[in-house]
Amino acid sequence: MHRPFAQAVGIIVCAGITLSAQWRVVTKGVPMTPGGTPNFEAPAPKLADGTPDLSGLWDAEKRPCNEAASVRGCLDSLTGNPIAFGNISATSSNTGPGSKDLLPMQPWAEALVKQRRDTASRDLNITRCLPLSPPQVWSTFWLKKIIQTPQSLAILDEYMSQYRQIFLDGRTLPKDPEPSFKGYSVGRWEGETLVVDTIGFKDDLWLDVVGHPLTEQARTTERIRRVNYGTLEVAITVDDPKAYTRPWTVTIKLTLAINTDLLEYICNENEKSVQHMVGPGAK
Amino acid sequence: MRRNTIMVIFCVLLASMSARAHHSFSSVFDSKKPITLTGPVTKIEWANPHIHVYIDVKDETGQVINWAIEMGSPNFLIRLGWTRDAMKVGDVVTIEGHLARDGSRLANARTVLLADKKMFAASNQNNTP
Repeated sequence: MHRPFAQAVGIIVCAGITLSAQWRVVTKGVPMTPGGTPNFEAPAPKLADGTPDLSGLWDAEKRPCNEAASVRGCLDSLTGNPIAFGNISATSSNTGPGSKDLLPMQPWAEALVKQRRDTASRDLNITRCLPLSPPQVWSTFWLKKIIQTPQSLAILDEYMSQYRQIFLDGRTLPKDPEPSFKGYSVGRWEGETLVVDTIGFKDDLWLDVVGHPLTEQARTTERIRRVNYGTLEVAITVDDPKAYTRPWTVTIKLTLAINTDLLEYICNENEKSVQHMVGPGAK
Repeated sequence: MRRNTIMVIFCVLLASMSARAHHSFSSVFDSKKPITLTGPVTKIEWANPHIHVYIDVKDETGQVINWAIEMGSPNFLIRLGWTRDAMKVGDVVTIEGHLARDGSRLANARTVLLADKKMFAASNQNNTP
């Protein structure tokens, strides 16, 4: 059997079987097409006060893998659903002229990313079961649930059962917030877009799985827009002069996950992999 | 029904062993060292960040060696139809996967075959998991 055909058969068979055995929860209120399938192209819902409702369970968009940019390769090629696996520089090409897949790093940051790549990301925060930074939350494959009220927006991250809160009550950013993994976030509406400013990060957070740093000097601005019922678009501008030579922006798309719920994922419950990490350059 | 269950497991593994790990595949496992292991399940650790299944495998001298098999995380396996009692202690399973680089009795699982002799081959194993 030709390999592409065999792959297609495998994918179709797997899709059919797994669909029949999917999660038993059925998400209510999903708009449907005349054909009876979820209509993810339907208009984005709104709260009673008319603001867009970003609430929902969101997953990083499945997209063609940019193998040249992904140091980890096309990790999900087995399933036919390639994923860039949270490499934020492979997520978008709008990081500036001449830097299609490379962020404008300071020399020390570039050296750090290379060192992390050469050591198989042995110290990756995910491997070490440490919290994700906000940009990393958007770009990784764990589901995240947005719960929105007029006063605040909460992002519940399946990874490590983490939360992030974005204040929408008109407060301003504090002058000297306590450094944290998630930072301190305030948001405001500009038309259909929620603009979120965040400061107060801990130093040397991981921006993505490749190991791009995010430092205590960082200020991020996220422009979050629900394009339609099933699509969320998050444009993240990172202004971090300690790690990058200029501000840069990436855009991450997420898709609505239906018929499932957040499930507990406590990473260090039974971590046994680190002791076996002797891969290329891992020591 | 039995066949369906096995196919679910097979598909679950295909989907989960690729991108759903909390570490890179190559940092722990060697894609150039595939292995097939058959034996009874002695223990199941249904826990994050990876499910571990332990099986007793006889080597060429007849000695029984207990192998640890790393699988995906419970949440992703559950979403694809897996249940925590799909495999039980005593079930004879065949694991197709890859050896750990450090020479320990550890392998990841690319496919799992339960005890009804039915084999399932991965449709695409030419890329790094």
